[in-house]
This record gives sequence, structure tokens and C-alpha cells, in this order.
Amino acid sequence: MAPPAQSQRSPSPSQPSGKGEVSDLKSQLRQLAGSRAPGVDDSKRDLFKKVISYMTVGIDVSSVFGEMVMCSATSDIVLKKMCYLYVGNYAKVNPDLALLTINFLQRDCKDEDPMIRGLALRSLCSLRVANLVEYLVGPLGSSLKDSNSYVRMVAVIGVLKLYHISAATCIDADFPAMLKHLLLNDPDTQVIANCLATLQEIWTLEASISEEASREREALISKPIIYYFLNRMKEFSEWAQSLVLELVAKYVPSDSNEIFDIMNLLEDRLQHANGAVVLATIKLFLQLTLSMTDVHQQVYERIKAPLLTLVSSGSPEQSFAVLSHLHLLVMRAPILFSSDYKHFYCQYNEPFYVKKLKLEMLTAVANESNTYEIVTELCEYAANVDIPMARESIRAVGKIALQQYDVNAIVDRLLQFLEMEKDYVTAETLVLVKDLLRKYPQWSQDCIAVVGNISSNNVQEPKAKAALIWMLGEYSQDMHDAPYILESLIENWEDEHSSEVRLHLLTAVMKCFFKRPPETQKALGDALAAGLADFHQDVHDRALLYYRLLQYNVTVAERVVNPPKQAVSVFADTQSSEIKDRIFDEFNSLSVVYQKPSYMFTDKEHRGPFEFSDELGNLSIGVDAADTVVPAQQVDANDKDLLLSTSEKEDGRALSSNGHMPAASLAIDDLLGLGLSVTAAPAPAPSPPSLSLNPKAVLDPGTFQQKWRQLPISLTQEFSVSPQGIAALISPQALLRHMQGDSVHCIASGGQSPNFKFFFFAQKAEESSNFLVECIINTSTAKAHVKIKADDQSMSQTFSTLFQSALSKFGVQ
Amino acid sequence: MLQCIFLLSDSGEVMLEKQLTGHRVDRSICAWYWDHAISQGDQLQPVIASPTHYLFQIVREGITFLACSQVEMPPLMGIEFLCRVADVLADYLGGLNEDQIKDNFVIVYELLDEMIDNGFPLTTEPNILREMIAAPNIVSKMLSVVTGNSSNVNETLPAATALCVPWRTSDPKYANNEVYVDLVEEMDAIINRDGTLVKCEIYGEVQVNSHLSGLPDLTLSFANPSILDDVRFHPCVRYRPWESHQILSFVPPDGQFRLMSYRVKKLKSIPLYLKPQLTSDAGTCRLSLLVGMRNDPGKTIDSIDVQFQLPPCISNADLSSNCGTVNILSNKTCSWIIGRIPKDKAPSLSGTLVLESGLQRLHVFPTFQLRFRIMGIALSGLQIDKLDLKNLPHRPYKGFRALTRAGHYEVRA
Repeated sequence: MAPPAQSQRSPSPSQPSGKGEVSDLKSQLRQLAGSRAPGVDDSKRDLFKKVISYMTVGIDVSSVFGEMVMCSATSDIVLKKMCYLYVGNYAKVNPDLALLTINFLQRDCKDEDPMIRGLALRSLCSLRVANLVEYLVGPLGSSLKDSNSYVRMVAVIGVLKLYHISAATCIDADFPAMLKHLLLNDPDTQVIANCLATLQEIWTLEASISEEASREREALISKPIIYYFLNRMKEFSEWAQSLVLELVAKYVPSDSNEIFDIMNLLEDRLQHANGAVVLATIKLFLQLTLSMTDVHQQVYERIKAPLLTLVSSGSPEQSFAVLSHLHLLVMRAPILFSSDYKHFYCQYNEPFYVKKLKLEMLTAVANESNTYEIVTELCEYAANVDIPMARESIRAVGKIALQQYDVNAIVDRLLQFLEMEKDYVTAETLVLVKDLLRKYPQWSQDCIAVVGNISSNNVQEPKAKAALIWMLGEYSQDMHDAPYILESLIENWEDEHSSEVRLHLLTAVMKCFFKRPPETQKALGDALAAGLADFHQDVHDRALLYYRLLQYNVTVAERVVNPPKQAVSVFADTQSSEIKDRIFDEFNSLSVVYQKPSYMFTDKEHRGPFEFSDELGNLSIGVDAADTVVPAQQVDANDKDLLLSTSEKEDGRALSSNGHMPAASLAIDDLLGLGLSVTAAPAPAPSPPSLSLNPKAVLDPGTFQQKWRQLPISLTQEFSVSPQGIAALISPQALLRHMQGDSVHCIASGGQSPNFKFFFFAQKAEESSNFLVECIINTSTAKAHVKIKADDQSMSQTFSTLFQSALSKFGVQ
Repeated sequence: MLQCIFLLSDSGEVMLEKQLTGHRVDRSICAWYWDHAISQGDQLQPVIASPTHYLFQIVREGITFLACSQVEMPPLMGIEFLCRVADVLADYLGGLNEDQIKDNFVIVYELLDEMIDNGFPLTTEPNILREMIAAPNIVSKMLSVVTGNSSNVNETLPAATALCVPWRTSDPKYANNEVYVDLVEEMDAIINRDGTLVKCEIYGEVQVNSHLSGLPDLTLSFANPSILDDVRFHPCVRYRPWESHQILSFVPPDGQFRLMSYRVKKLKSIPLYLKPQLTSDAGTCRLSLLVGMRNDPGKTIDSIDVQFQLPPCISNADLSSNCGTVNILSNKTCSWIIGRIPKDKAPSLSGTLVLESGLQRLHVFPTFQLRFRIMGIALSGLQIDKLDLKNLPHRPYKGFRALTRAGHYEVRA
């Protein structure tokens, strides 16, 4: 072969330093390529090592590809491995040269040493060059029947690699069927585990385009297969065990006896040394017993000890992952952990993120019997050197105070914090005292006495300053020098950078004015003047509003600014229980660590490279961008108006967005029992039937799939789609958006012209009763074939009408 | 599943990159990670969401093991796997450091190749790996010089993969059969300023080092297993005998391994006390520390030292002790190394702390971390009753040891 011309070398401007060395290597390798001298392997090995080390540091050594391949004719296995590594790395960018390697890899696949056979096959499958797949099928087929389990193990994963390069080739060669045979018959458990992983992935991706594949996937979680795995559980490696446990978690046992049998069989897995196995087992137990309340509680009791041991045994990183899961369980059922509160005490040199989780758990498990000890412990942290920790613990004390009935002792503690004279402690405490007063106005006397002693000069943080000012305004009748403090604050109006503080200042001085007019009049005048001149829009507007109110009528102004207040009974939770449930369903996944359900962080952009749909035109399970926006807004709203009760919020959101949702607004009206007539709405063509749907229904793909499996088809229908609708179906997204306007949400879509397939779901507004729809639209016949499954069978006809009317409007409007 | 594993040096340089699936992960993720790690400091979490990937990271001896994934997966699977990789590498290379990895990167690649395929962990059992890939130790280097065969890959495939005891090397032979059982305990305790014990717990491990020929069957029993709160076992332990009689019955792996780990909570007695005293007056603070024996464990306590962080508001500190050495580092960490408690006097440390100007009294207080080691005793009180060995041609040598050291043992001021 003629030596490749110099110009062939791909330029690597980012790493000019490596250029000279690389061409050096190239010529050295070429010299060795043909040599059969003794000891040549050693010099080859040094050169290969150099090449790989360049590759490792990021220098582009793809230019020596040809020479590497020429040198690879050797019996030395280390040389081979290095060569495989190199080839695997650069084959994709050099598809033509990759062809050169096929020959020697194929030869190695027939080597008598099983190790070499396996390694060669692994490298062959890792080339990932689409036009070389024809060379793959033969070796893979024979390797699947190899007598050595190591080779079979590699071959099984090889099938999956082949599938990702070319799905059609893989299916045509009938590899899935061969794997299924191995899955059920192979003596080696690692081969079985690899078969399971591969088949799961292939059949899940195939399920949308092939009925058979989806049946096969269902069959994986059928009773005989699950039992086959369960009985061999202990033979599997620890990693394979966690894979099998994941599979078993998808299985739905027929009765409670079966559930107990499975749990008894797997109980010892809770004591496995590998944390991944323990957590997978815990997930399985929790899922199995979801519907059996008593047993579910017992499961909590049973898994407590293993979880606590896992936390204390592993490395800090492992502890954190376990703690996140423990955190989830504690938040769900704090009572069950209330006697274990000492486990959540923080150690001094733990990382902050661990301490924070522990603090939240301490807060959650606090009840009448342990509050005293927990608060004492928290006060220790407040006095510690670690400032962020001190802040967090003060907040935790405050939270406990807000959730307890007997807060005497806690209020005293908080007031002691104020006497510590540390500015950050004071700041945090002030914010808390404010919240506390809103819930327990009866404590005002005690608190005011202490708060009155704080010099406003010592409080710098905006939040704390705002809290202090709020208290000055609210309790100005009890605080002797409130007007004068406010006055001095207003004098420094220009130096106050936070608009929040200035807003509070305006309101406080108003309130003070209503209670002690003569003393405050001057301050009020100054404040309003300063506020009107303020460059911040909100401050300006508020000042103007107050000014005009006062001009109009002082008593009215008082009613507006300082109405009699009710004590706040419940502070709204920042995370809705619905989201918590979602996270719980995804136990033993990243969701738990991030404390968000996966649909909130695995959005389309991230999953991009992992969607094989472009190659296959198949179903892309997942939530669309449009869907993700909705929950995100929910959380935002939750964060902002903490004081609204949940039902109020629901109203607000529904009302603000009901422009296109007659059905939805109707639902809310019904909910409130207002009995408003529907006629107010500008009546869309067919009047909505008596079924109303939840406009922001959520359902994760997993639950959808499970339900789809479990429920019988309650209705099969064929609708015709208007020609305009077909025209608008150029992009399936349009239909998704349209259906969402009618509170029917899409969970997955796919297909190519003329056949499009959609999975929709909808939820009844009043209760969590789901409707699941499979809708296949054929654009050439303009027909929609619809299968409906419903939790509540009786409503499926009504829903079908609704669905049809929604579909018929598509493209018409 | 995992898509890629990177090994980074302590300066953020990529030492090794192992792509696991067809979706290549660009190296730029490492740069992103490194910036993120620097900005987070010690607040860095083990599981991070980067703009494109979910990252798992662990740091061992300055080396960052970074794994990337783009799909939902059990987080513990990622972290646990990285921990195993770190353990196996440390075991193979005789310690972890940048040079070791760079010198032996071919072996690291080989190991990763066998440990994980297409993002799914295969085997992390050191015994099996050892049979597939020989460690780069002196012996193999010597052998390669003598025999001229320099391949570090063993010629045969591990037979263990075919056995029902996958953790055990196929058929080891030893001239001297011996087995050592160590109880290693760590005591975690929190003691308040008034001397009350807030929390005291022991985390312990039964570590076994076995060099036994053939396929031996071992039975280990404890005199008082009822004190154990919760236990976790090596996969070799049979569950039924433990459940019915609290007996550990197992076929051991070859070499060193952790047979069992356990937890004992609500302990009442601690071996050492530390009495801190802080009195503030007009801008200075007197500090005095007393360390002494609380409950004599009956064995010598050694390697005693005390560490604490001076509050940031202290501008100057002058500390001295009547035994051991006192060091104050630039980050205001103070360490007092005592060693053993002398017979004739109680160790004490005293001195003055000068507060920043303007402060009259000290409001934040340090936490003192005490470290010690006691050879020859397991403080939880756990005792090994006996160890029976079956299936062995000769009587082996059996050795038992115990050790307790301080884990998180802290005293608040």
C-alpha cells in the first residue's frame, strides 16, 4: 500500500504542539509494520502506548490510522487491546479506513482464545460505522452460539450496539428471537442479564411500530418470566440484580399472597452490601404495597434500618444519594421516623448539602414529644462557626414553630437568638418572628419588647429590614418609638437600595399614621414625597396610590391599607403534594436527588441525542416542551404567593387561563357550587357535555404505560377528520397544541405520513379518573381510528363525544 | 445508563476518557464541570445536572471520577459503580495518584473495558478482574523479564465466572493456610458543652483476610449478636443461617474483603472526655481544654488528637499545652496532637484568643473533633465466639484482631 500523502492528515489547529510528534510516530510505526524481527512487539507496544496517551490528552492522532491497522497483525493481546481502543475511537471519523480493520477483527473473532474472540467482537460492534453493518451480522450470529459464556455475554451487548447502528439489520437477522432463547436457557447469569437489558431496550423502541415487539415487551413482565428471574436472583451479579429488581417493580402481582411471597423471597436483598441493590429492593417493596396501607407502613418500618445503615456506612457521595431517598420517605411519613430523629443530627464536618437535607428532616419529624430536643440541637448549630448552617438552623427552628401547637419554648429560643448580637442571626430571626406573629398574634407583647430593642442600624439584609419595618408598622401602637425609627429610616431613603424595603417602609408609615397621626404626619409626608420621586415603578405607584387614597378619604384609606387581619393558619407548602407523589413514583431515580419529577428536568433539549426517533420514526415517549411549561409555572406560582391557600390558587390559575377552555372553567364553577350558567361563554359549536376535564392534568409516561396495559379497551371508534385537519397535520405538534386547548394532553406521538399515531390522556376535573386514548390518523383516508380506555368505564362514551368534537374542530378554526 | 467516564487530575486535566456508548460525550463537559466545581467549592454535590448531561462525581486522593448520563437511572448505581472503580484501581495500582494512573493507563482502560459495557456495569468483583487482567506488580514485572512474556493479560478466562461462587478464584493453593478476622469499629459521638452525650453510635465492619486452599466453608459466630442494630453482608454470606441463628456461614473470596458491616446505636459510655472552657472578657477570650479518660477501655488509647476551627472573628490566638504539640494553620484550623495520655498528668491546652476590635464577647463557638485509636478492643462490646472451617485439608492458622477508632467524635463548646 502506498504511504498516505502528507496532505491527508486532518489538521488539528487546537493542538499544534502534537503535530511534530504525531508525524514522527507515523514514520516509526510504518517501519515496524512489516518487520518480523524478534522483540518487535515490545517496540510496537511503546509506540502504541504513545499514540493512546496522545489520544487520551486530546491530541488528534487519527492520521496514523492506516499505520496502526497495519501494525495490528500480532498475537500480543495487550497490543490488540490498545489497537481495538484506538480503532473504536477513530473509526467513526474515518469510515473508509475502518474497512481495513474489519478484516483482522473478523479473523480475531474466530481466534481459539475466547478472550480474544470476545474483545474482537466488542471492538467490531463498537466501530459504529453504518456501511459496515453487513460484516457484523455473521460474527454476531456465531458468537451468540459460542461455547464460552464470555463471548456470548459480549455478543448480546453487541446486538444492542448493532440495533443502534441499524435497527432494520438487527431485526431482519432475527437477533431478538435468539436473545429471547438465550434469556430463558443460558446457564450463565451474566448472559441472561445482558439479554434482559438488551431486549428491554430494543422492544421498548420497537413497540410503537410493531405489535409483536410490544407483545414481547409485555411478556417480559409476565408471571413465568418474573418468577424465573426471582428464583435465580442470587446467582446474578449485584448490578444485574438491580436490573432485575427494576423489572420486577413493573410486574403487577395478582393477589396479596403473591406480593408477600415476592417480599419474603427478596427480604435478604435489603442486607446486600451494594447500595444500588438495597435501594432497588426498597423501591420494589414500596411499589408492591402501595395499595395495602397497613403493610405499606410495615414496609417503612422494615426499610428504616437498612437505609440508616447505608447512610452511615458508605462514602460521603453514597450517603448523599441515600439521604435524598430517606429525605423523600421522611417527608412522606414523618411520624414513622419521629423516634429516629437523632440520626438526622448534623456532624460538624459534613458537607453543607448533607446538613441541609438533615435539617429538613429534623424539621419534618418534630412533634410534641421530641420538639424540645430537636430545637435544643438546632440552637447548637445556630451558635456554630458555620454561618450558612447557622442561618439554615434558625429557619428550621422557625418552621418547627410554625407547625407546632405549643410554641412557648420556641419563641423564647428565637428571642434569645436576637440577643446574640450577630447580624446574620438577628436578620434570620427577624424574618421568622414576623411570620410567627402572623400566625400567633398573641405573642406580640413578648416579641415586641425584644424587637423594640434592636437598633435598625444593625440590620442590613433587605429581607430582615423589611420584616423589622413591617413589625414597626403593624405594632406601632405598642412600640414606643416606632414613628421615630421610621422617620429616621425615611431620612435615609436615598441610601436604601432595596425596593422591597422601600415598599414596606411606605406601608409601615401609613399604618403608623393611622394609629399615631400627630407623631407620624411629618414622616408620612416625607415618605410619600420620596416615594413619588422614586425611580422604581412599584414604589412610585404605591406611593401614588396611598397619596390618592388619603386625598379621597382617610377612613377608606385605613380600611385598604390596614384592614383587620386574621391570623394565618397554614402557610402554603412550596412543593405541591402532587409533585411529591410524582417523585415518590420515581423512587430510586435521579428525580429524588434533584427533588423534582423527571419531566421537569429531562426536557427535550437534554434528551436530544438519546431519541432514536429520527432514525426510526417511532414513538417518542416523553413530555413535550409545551407540557413542561405548565408545571413549571405551577411551581413558580407556588413560590410567589405563599400565603394563598391552595384552592384559591387553583382558581386564580384556572380563571386566568380559561380563555380557550370552556370545559375547564365549567369544571371550576361546578367545583365551587356557584351554579353559574354556561351561557355566559361565547358558546363554541357543540355545547360541552356534562363531563369536564382537568386542564392541567399530569400523567407520567410510566404510569400511562402501566394503565394502558391494565385497562381493557372500553371503546373503539372511527371518526373522519376534516380535510382542513389533515392539511394542518403536516406537523403533529399542531394537533397536540389544539387538543391541549381542549384539556386532552398528548403523552407520546410518532409515525410518518400517511399514518400518524398519538397517545392522549385526559383527567376528570373533580377526581383523578383518567381517560387514555390511542389515536391513529391516516391522512390518505382522512380517518382517525380511536381506542379509548378509561378508569371509569361509564364515562367513556361521553368522553368519546368530547374527544370527537375536539378533533373535528382541528384545522377548522 | 452511563455514557462516558472521565478521570480528571487535581488540576482539572483529563487523564483518561472512556466512551461507553455510541453517543459520544464531548470533552467540553469536563471544562464545564471543572468551572462548576470551582464555583461550588466544598458545596459540590455528587450528582449534578449540567446543561447537557447528568454528572456523577466522586473524588478520591485528588482524582475526580466523573461519569455522564443523559437518561434517568438509579443514582446509587452511578455513584456506587464509580466507588467500585476507584477501589479496584487503587487495589490494582497500589494506591491512587496522578502518576500511577498516567503510567498505567492501558491497564485502566482494560479494567474499565471489563467492568462496564455499553453503559451497564458487568463485574466489579476484584477476584474475577484479577484473573482477567494481571496487576502491574513487581512479581509480574520480574516474570516478564525472566520469561520474556510481557503480556499482562492472563491467558485463561476466569473459571470463576462459571462457578456458582463468582466471588471466589477458581482453585487457589496455599502452602500456609491462614485466615484473619478483624473487627474494625468507628465511634460517632456528639457531646454537648455540659458533658451530656447527645448521640453515640458505632459503625463496624468485620474484615476478613483469607488465604485458604480449595473451596472452604466457614462459619463465624458471635457471643452477643443481639446488640447489632442492623447488618449488611458481602454477597457470599448465606442469609438463612443468620436469620435463624445469627451465624455467618459463607465461602470466602480470596484475599481481603468486607464480610459484614453493622451498626450499634444508643451506646452509653465513651472512652475519652474533653472539657472546653471559654470565658470572654473585654475583647479577649480565655480558652482551656482538658482531655482525659472517661471510661477506661482496658487497652491503651493512642493517636489522640484534637482539631478545631477558630471562629473567624478571632484576630490572634496564643495557645500552649502541657503535652503534645499545638499548631495553628493559616485557615484558622487548630490541631493539638497528644498521642498517648501520659501517666503523671492530664493533658491540657490553654491560651488567649484576641477578638477583632469592636467585639466584646465571643458569640460563635468552635466544635472540637477528637480522634483516637484503641487497639485490641471493639468498643461496641461485640465479641467473636468462634470460627469453624470445613472442607480444608490442613488445620489453618486463625487470627483475630479488634480495633476501635473515632469516626465523627465531636465536642461542642
